[in-house]
Amino acid sequence: MPVTVETPTEKWAGKVREITLGATAAEGGTRTSTVTVGGEGTMPFLHFEGETPHRPVVAIEIYDIAPQDWSPILMDYWGDVVNDVVAWAKKAVELGADAIALTLRGAHPEVNDRSPEDSARVVKDVLAAVGVPLIVYGPGAPDKDNEVLVAVAEATAGERLALGLCEQNNYRTIAAACMGSGHIAVARAPIDVNIQKQLNILISDMGLPLDRILMDPTTGALGYGLEYTYSVMERLRLAALQGDAMTQQPMICTAGHEAWRAKESKVGEGVPEAWGDWKERGIAWETVTATSLIEAGADILVMRHPEAVAIVKKTIDQLVAK
Amino acid sequence: MDTRLPSGNGQVREARRCAVVFKPSGRVIEVPAGTLLLDAARQAGVSIETPCGGYGRCGRCRVLVESGDVARRDTYHLTADEVAQGHALACQTQVQGSLTVFVEPREAISRRYRPQEEARAAQIALPLDGSFICQPSLRKLHVAVEGPSMEDNTNDFDRLGRDLVREYGVPRLRADLPVLRTLAADVRSANWDVTAVVDDEEPQLPQQWEEEMGETGVHMEGPTRLLAVEPGDTTGRALGVAVDIGTTTVVVYLVNTANAQVLDTASAYNAQISCGDDVISRIIYSQRGDGLNHLRKLVTDTINGLLDELAKRNGIELRDIYEMSVAGNTTMTHLFLGLNPKYVREAPYIPTVNLPPAVLAADLGIPIHPQARVKCAPGVGSYVGGDITAGVLSSGMFRTDKLTLFIDVGTNGEIVLGNKEWLITCACSAGPAFEGGGVKDGMRAIPGAVQEVWINSETLEPTCRTIGDLPPQGICGSGLLGALAEMFISGIIDKGGRMRRDLDTPRVRIANNIAEYVLVKAGEQGAKRDIVLTEADINNLLRAKGAIYAGFSVLVRSVGLTMADVEQVMIAGAFGQHIHIEKAIQIGLLPDMPWDRIKYVGNSSALGAYFALVCREARAALQAVARKMTYLELSADNSFMDEYTRALFLPHTDINEFPSVGRLLEQTRQKGTAAVKA
Amino acid sequence: MALTGLQIYKLLPKTNCKECGVPTCLAFAMKLATKSAELSACPYVTEEAKNELEAASAPPVRLVSIGADGRKIEVGNETVLYRHDKTFYHQPGLVVRVKDTQSADEIKAVADAVCGYCVERVGLSLNVDGVAIENASGDTSAFAKAIEVVGSNANVALVLMSSVPATLDTVMPMVADRRPLLYAADAGNWQAMAEVARKYKSPLAVKVDCGDLSALATLTEDITKAGVTDLMLDPGTRSMVDSLQAMTKIRRLALRKNFRPLGFPMISFPGEGASSPLEEVAAASQHIAKYGGVIVLDHFDPTLIYPLLTLRQNIYTDPQKPIQVKPDVYPIHEPDANSPLLITTNFSLTYFTVAGEVEASGVPAWLLIADSEGLSVLTAWAAGKFDAEKIKKAVQTSGILDKIAHKRLIIPGYVAGMSGEIEEELPGWEIRVGPREAVDLSSYLKSLRS
Repeated sequence: MPVTVETPTEKWAGKVREITLGATAAEGGTRTSTVTVGGEGTMPFLHFEGETPHRPVVAIEIYDIAPQDWSPILMDYWGDVVNDVVAWAKKAVELGADAIALTLRGAHPEVNDRSPEDSARVVKDVLAAVGVPLIVYGPGAPDKDNEVLVAVAEATAGERLALGLCEQNNYRTIAAACMGSGHIAVARAPIDVNIQKQLNILISDMGLPLDRILMDPTTGALGYGLEYTYSVMERLRLAALQGDAMTQQPMICTAGHEAWRAKESKVGEGVPEAWGDWKERGIAWETVTATSLIEAGADILVMRHPEAVAIVKKTIDQLVAK
Repeated sequence: MDTRLPSGNGQVREARRCAVVFKPSGRVIEVPAGTLLLDAARQAGVSIETPCGGYGRCGRCRVLVESGDVARRDTYHLTADEVAQGHALACQTQVQGSLTVFVEPREAISRRYRPQEEARAAQIALPLDGSFICQPSLRKLHVAVEGPSMEDNTNDFDRLGRDLVREYGVPRLRADLPVLRTLAADVRSANWDVTAVVDDEEPQLPQQWEEEMGETGVHMEGPTRLLAVEPGDTTGRALGVAVDIGTTTVVVYLVNTANAQVLDTASAYNAQISCGDDVISRIIYSQRGDGLNHLRKLVTDTINGLLDELAKRNGIELRDIYEMSVAGNTTMTHLFLGLNPKYVREAPYIPTVNLPPAVLAADLGIPIHPQARVKCAPGVGSYVGGDITAGVLSSGMFRTDKLTLFIDVGTNGEIVLGNKEWLITCACSAGPAFEGGGVKDGMRAIPGAVQEVWINSETLEPTCRTIGDLPPQGICGSGLLGALAEMFISGIIDKGGRMRRDLDTPRVRIANNIAEYVLVKAGEQGAKRDIVLTEADINNLLRAKGAIYAGFSVLVRSVGLTMADVEQVMIAGAFGQHIHIEKAIQIGLLPDMPWDRIKYVGNSSALGAYFALVCREARAALQAVARKMTYLELSADNSFMDEYTRALFLPHTDINEFPSVGRLLEQTRQKGTAAVKA
Repeated sequence: MALTGLQIYKLLPKTNCKECGVPTCLAFAMKLATKSAELSACPYVTEEAKNELEAASAPPVRLVSIGADGRKIEVGNETVLYRHDKTFYHQPGLVVRVKDTQSADEIKAVADAVCGYCVERVGLSLNVDGVAIENASGDTSAFAKAIEVVGSNANVALVLMSSVPATLDTVMPMVADRRPLLYAADAGNWQAMAEVARKYKSPLAVKVDCGDLSALATLTEDITKAGVTDLMLDPGTRSMVDSLQAMTKIRRLALRKNFRPLGFPMISFPGEGASSPLEEVAAASQHIAKYGGVIVLDHFDPTLIYPLLTLRQNIYTDPQKPIQVKPDVYPIHEPDANSPLLITTNFSLTYFTVAGEVEASGVPAWLLIADSEGLSVLTAWAAGKFDAEKIKKAVQTSGILDKIAHKRLIIPGYVAGMSGEIEEELPGWEIRVGPREAVDLSSYLKSLRS
């Protein structure tokens, strides 16, 4: 007796909001290419159920100074370009970056304490050197983040950068800067669906339109809390599809930063033999972290190793193929 | 939608002039049609209070339109009847023709909006609520016994017993030695015309309740115990006391069980407060040296002090009190009985006993009649005690078809969900914020405490009212709750509870690195110093309300229901007394539902103890309630943290659970929020 | 569909007799609803109620086991689509494929490596579960030889891959006692395959082409009727996106529609759609997250296996358990012997909040995490899991004493009341009360420094 199976399709009331990073000359910026993410009307890549109008994208992360604490594997790969942020950005684009994620580490009071004005100039230099959209992170010290990002926002008005991080206890200044200069805010919550939603509400209550807020659910690397991020992302996507307007922001994940902080990718000696080859392991660690997050609904992956980027982009090709 | 109406100036095409007469002052003003009644009053020099700033939120500007045409934009706070009678909110009403308007004196209005504290202190209305009939365990039975003779040489005890059976159907009488020791003298000195004081050994549950509740096994016919023999007929008065041992306050009702009348009540702080504010601190204290004994003595002293007060005031002897009915949380019951509460605190949180036996008052150092027994309401678990079973009893939720949420908010929030078929309960730690603890200018709900707050949405200026209308000294729970709601609705704090620092008002300031809102400046209303609410205070309040609402959510979900299934909410405890339901919903403490489905059930613990005192069936029902209540341990429930985080937002992360607040915010938002510093 | 606690309660006797071991019938019903109790514990449940409850509680995905003792793969019995809804119960088996066209040495090397591979992670040993042997040569004796090489090895689970029932029938006596998975029955051979599976009581994989689920359901219906019920499904999809969709559909049909013909675990081949080992890893990681039962890999390399085993451990961690961090000393910003020492509980959120704020402060510090069984500061204090004694134990056993040269401990502001007791427990120590809220830590730590 032949059995007929009906496709078990879920009917969703909502979808992820579309957000475009970067603005071309016609749109008031200087980008030669922009990136649009979001718009998904289904759990990730279930094409029988709903649309995935835009593919997830990969941003390659660079610093404005040579990183002090990166894994030797990464430093070996990039070589000298890490000393020249402009060259580094160009190289990253050559290697397939859909966007550049620039961390202004040099502005940190305990690193180079670079001034907000100088930091803004670095951003301008990178904008001049590459045509892809930029995601700009502050140095990671709340007060300085605010100063630097306000300067960057003003100096780059109209470029539609993504600026981060807006966090629960420090969101107003950066969100206001985005509001005034036409940028996008990256809202990071500590692996918590509710706090993420609350942060989105708070930022939107300030008047920043929802199509200018990205969610960063905080990334746990493979073996270091990946499952929490994974589930939080699934829950956020489900809520978005169920029509909760305050969870419909596209998601950005810092897969590279977290994966390369793991002992597995950072340390080569004195580790168990069962861990295998260090370099390959590091790349695999970043790859598995990133692909798992894509399966959970990531829209933008911020990554570090171009070989991992290549595999992840290929995986994305496969997943968006109908 | 803008709830503030435009006033007439230049906005109304037909500037038809209308005369408005204000009573009782008799002032008259002529205004264009379309003028806001509030503006007309102001032009006429008639003062109308608008604490909320004319947003139609507080209802304080209500007037009675005796004649003439008006257009009401909003009738919030008014019932359909009141509207029909002509009541209107001055800030939401436009003049449409010549009018006569009666403006109530301010006192009358404030009385109307005063929380109903006075009403609650009143006598308990009799008959109770139909469920309970006055049929106490403690009874006085008058018999005129024929004395012994050579023909009838029955012994004294059996002789008395025989008449008690004959006249009152008393089954098997028994007496303890002390009673027998004086029996011969007692009956003879009264010349055998005596009143026997008796009580029952075992409670009984009426058949009908048994079936309703599916309970069996509590029904037992026990012997009757003789406590004392009084000369003559004293049946008119059989004294008992009902005691509610709260962590903070102890309340004693003096009751005539013969007619269930509450003769008097007295209350005082639990003297154990000196050893810690909350149950955990008390348990910790009990583990040090003689701590347990000391705590037992403190609470006994508190009760005895209240008994003395009542005896003096009512001209009675303590010996004339023959029963004590007690309700308290599990820790209080343990400490009162001298049971070690150590394992109440430690996981897996196990009390020594849920249903303590009846014990002689003398054994507990309570100087009422030495044969009097002290009966404690049974508990369910370490954090749901006899106070809650007593509350479930007195609220009647154990006999209702309606899905009921019962809450008792104190330091711990205890929550019960269910109906006559099933009951499930949990406790969540709310912290002392709602009792004024852990809050900079918090205080208990005593005269001088700010208990009501309104903030003008435009000027951000507050209007405060204190208990007893005395100069403000601090803020009590209901004032804190009101202040939180008003600061939220007026946009002083964001939904996360953070104070906006860019507002153009001197009321918001930074002190010691913390933002604060000045509710009362020194000098205002006779205040001696500034009274403020800091961002840290707001966080404490948010956590308290978050814990309680999360408790509701987890409880409701644990049985597969949703908040929308809840048909009524009963609020018990001292906090509930002053609670402003609208404000409690606005901050997301109480579920968003029509206000008439939320009711205050008073000190339900004391009431439960009282019912158990005057009604044997109620005593039995207490046990049945305790047996059938399912205790959900929140610390074993992972979803609690999730719900808690969801509830740590104003009013809630999911605004769909609070549609009325969503609408209010939308109105306020369209009006535009408070002034921002240039 | 699963019943709620209240629905189950209505079927129970409601006597609150306590004989099942919980205090009330409602509590028991709630345990039944979460599958943490057995109905048989209730002595008074009626037959009628029993039937109703049992029908509602039959697992929507059949539990299938491969292998005997040693490394047994047990998959199925899943109840949710998303791990946050409850948890995923039975982690997929990872097996490595060899072909009988490879040399005996090559096969042995793989089998030995699979067998011997073990890596430790957060206190657990992670292993590869088995070897799949494919009859790629088409020759029965080569197949038998390969099985012998692998089989001589310890107790790894086996998957025997051949489309010829007679071949499997021939080799099965060699390893029947190890209950290998037979791969695979298809539309052409299913009767004979089912016969072999039945004869040796082995689980059987069922395969169709290109995600044709109707064909797959038809086959499983037929095979089940033929008496073989331990089945695994191969929907025949090989690209990542096709696998994702087919496997999601199968899981949804089983769980949401209680569709029995597809209520079986799945077998997948991530290597077949990949052009490099790293791509295979990417695909395999999808299968771990999205409903794989047995995942057959074509490469064995510790570098690639270790991330997959880690991912499997992550995804199959029970999300309902309170999230804890390991009680330990956590250095922040390379502290030295004079850096301040802070203590808090091991509830992960507490840890992350405190560590985050200390990190943001830029002040080098030692963060001592005490074992509070995953409770937050106030909850742990209330429950006696973060008291003076526990704090003393943490200080004395954590190894912090070797790292610092001072005796000053900063405790959370919420437990300020304990400072006296802690000083009693830790003579000579100065107990300092930190802020109540983590957000104030930064200014607090900076004020210590100045």
